[in-house]
Amino acid sequence: MDERLKQAFDQIHAEEGVKAETQAYLNRARARSRSPKRYLAMVAACLVFLLVGLGGYQFYFTPTTILSIDINPSVELGVNRFDQVVSVQAYNQDGQELADSLELKFLDYQTALERLLASQSVAGRLAQGELLSITVVGEDKDQSSRVLAGAQACTAGQENVQCCHGDMEVLEEAHHAGLSMGKYQAFLELQALDPTITTDDVAGLTMRQIRDWIAALESGGTAEEQESQTGGSGGRGHAGNGHGHHYGWGGYE
Amino acid sequence: MRGEEETNQAIERYGDTVRRLCMIHLKNEADTQDIFQTVFLKYLLHDRPFESREHEKAWFIRVTLNACKDLLKSFFRSRTVPLEELTNKAADLTDEAREVLNAVLALPQKERDVVYLHYYEGYTAPEISRLLGKNVNTIYTNLARARERLKELLGGEVHG
Repeated sequence: MDERLKQAFDQIHAEEGVKAETQAYLNRARARSRSPKRYLAMVAACLVFLLVGLGGYQFYFTPTTILSIDINPSVELGVNRFDQVVSVQAYNQDGQELADSLELKFLDYQTALERLLASQSVAGRLAQGELLSITVVGEDKDQSSRVLAGAQACTAGQENVQCCHGDMEVLEEAHHAGLSMGKYQAFLELQALDPTITTDDVAGLTMRQIRDWIAALESGGTAEEQESQTGGSGGRGHAGNGHGHHYGWGGYE
Repeated sequence: MRGEEETNQAIERYGDTVRRLCMIHLKNEADTQDIFQTVFLKYLLHDRPFESREHEKAWFIRVTLNACKDLLKSFFRSRTVPLEELTNKAADLTDEAREVLNAVLALPQKERDVVYLHYYEGYTAPEISRLLGKNVNTIYTNLARARERLKELLGGEVHG
């Protein structure tokens, strides 16, 4: 019986066709794994994916235009090429509180501006006669013009609001000095009239106070002469520097 | 990864063993081709050296049996032809061999493995128990039952 089983199994052989096909299959498998193409393709695909991701992120999250908004809360909105707010940067304590209280990111810049203007902190100050300055800075002239026009449209119903263009270089200087764009531009005007004034002198002032100061200097009076007129609004008097009368601010635009 | 010459040698050396194991488990040619590819691809990718020829052969038996079990578990086995037809297809078998193999195929699957490994490959019951990862007493029982069944089917003595 042992012998019968042995002989029977002995007659079973792997068919030549099966063996040949298996050899061919192994050769294909070998060629596949040796060829660097698949590996390279995978790496390339990952790389493209990564680059598209990073590029898209950069493309979307890089502000192309800056909207500097100053009353005393100083806030700068970074607007990307799709006119959406992608960054909110506060330049003083009030600004920080304002930025924290509002959710402005990823909104259309006009909606963001409307929310800002409607916020208690800004609306209240405007009602008190404070000045709001909106400065638009951007490398892309088309966009910054468009954003400026949009900002003007948004604020058309408001008095005491002034919108203007700003310069990229000035923006950098302003940030270097720790001021927002609007305030820094006003400071530059002030400095042109009185070279002894430093950025520290204006840091704590509201836009109205700075404007008044400029107007006072322009009218030829000294700060000391105007001292008695100021300090009342909002209790933001600045030691050593008085602030002038309201002279309006025609011609700034 | 092993070279072409090495795998070709292995196919020549162990092809028949793999084929016989396929015969006692599988139902058709396509499945057999599948098992060959699975087993020898594993060999191609198996980088650790074998201690000896016996070790290598045992590896092939184990891998083939596992591959057969995996295949049988798969859904598609339901479409295959019945087991008995296989030996009829193998035209070059003698009547005697066909009768014996049909008797083996009539055994339950676990007994088929044991009969093949013991009577053909010459493994002892403890060796089979290590190879299949089963209790040695189970192997003895399987062998005894298989011997009885074969005696009934084929007549004559089976020495174990």
